[in-house]
Amino acid sequence: MTAAQVTDSTFKQEVLESEVPVLVDFWAPWCGPCRMVAPVVEEISEQYDGQVKVVKVNTDDNPSIASQYGIRSIPTLMIFKGGQRVDMVVGAVPKTTLANTLEKYL
Amino acid sequence: MTINQPNQGSDKSLEIMRNFSQSYAKRTGTYFCQDLGVTSVVIEGLAKHKDDLGAPLCPCRHYEDKEAEVKATYWNCPCVPMQERQECHCMLFLKPDNPFAGDQQEISFEQIRSETNEY
Repeated sequence: MTAAQVTDSTFKQEVLESEVPVLVDFWAPWCGPCRMVAPVVEEISEQYDGQVKVVKVNTDDNPSIASQYGIRSIPTLMIFKGGQRVDMVVGAVPKTTLANTLEKYL
Repeated sequence: MTINQPNQGSDKSLEIMRNFSQSYAKRTGTYFCQDLGVTSVVIEGLAKHKDDLGAPLCPCRHYEDKEAEVKATYWNCPCVPMQERQECHCMLFLKPDNPFAGDQQEISFEQIRSETNEY
């Protein structure tokens, strides 16, 4: 399952109102480490299918949501549960780091 | 002549940023990523910012106001963390001991565009 793109207008419904925890990958097209973390995010999406929703936000196209959550360095991977931001990981991290962070909220 | 995609930089800026990246890597003893696709997208991003903003603002950050950031200069490539501590979170310039560092300090125009034409 490929991570769906979420926008400024769909963020509330897709992320904040999700029944399951959500991993949000804040990325930008010309960001090198985003390119490295994308396959890791896809693997996580498959591994936790049904337990976690995985979505992506293009920060260039959706500046409101990126600013609202104080995104600075890209990629930033943020975890939301029950409408709240509960954790985040910055940069191109190994899959184990991301999985370990995510496990805390399942 | 090829038509560039809207998000790509001009050929002229890409060539300027490609030359800058090669000479800066050699001068600082840093290397491009093993995956030259990473290098390619970052150089394209620097070129695009140079076209749009007049300066190669780091493409691996989100900014409230890009024009103001350009004037502040902190994140104009090479950014202050790179100049002071050789820290490039964009992974364009990697120290030799970085696990992702390759052995290249050169990349061709065609290599860059063969990657960024896919976006």
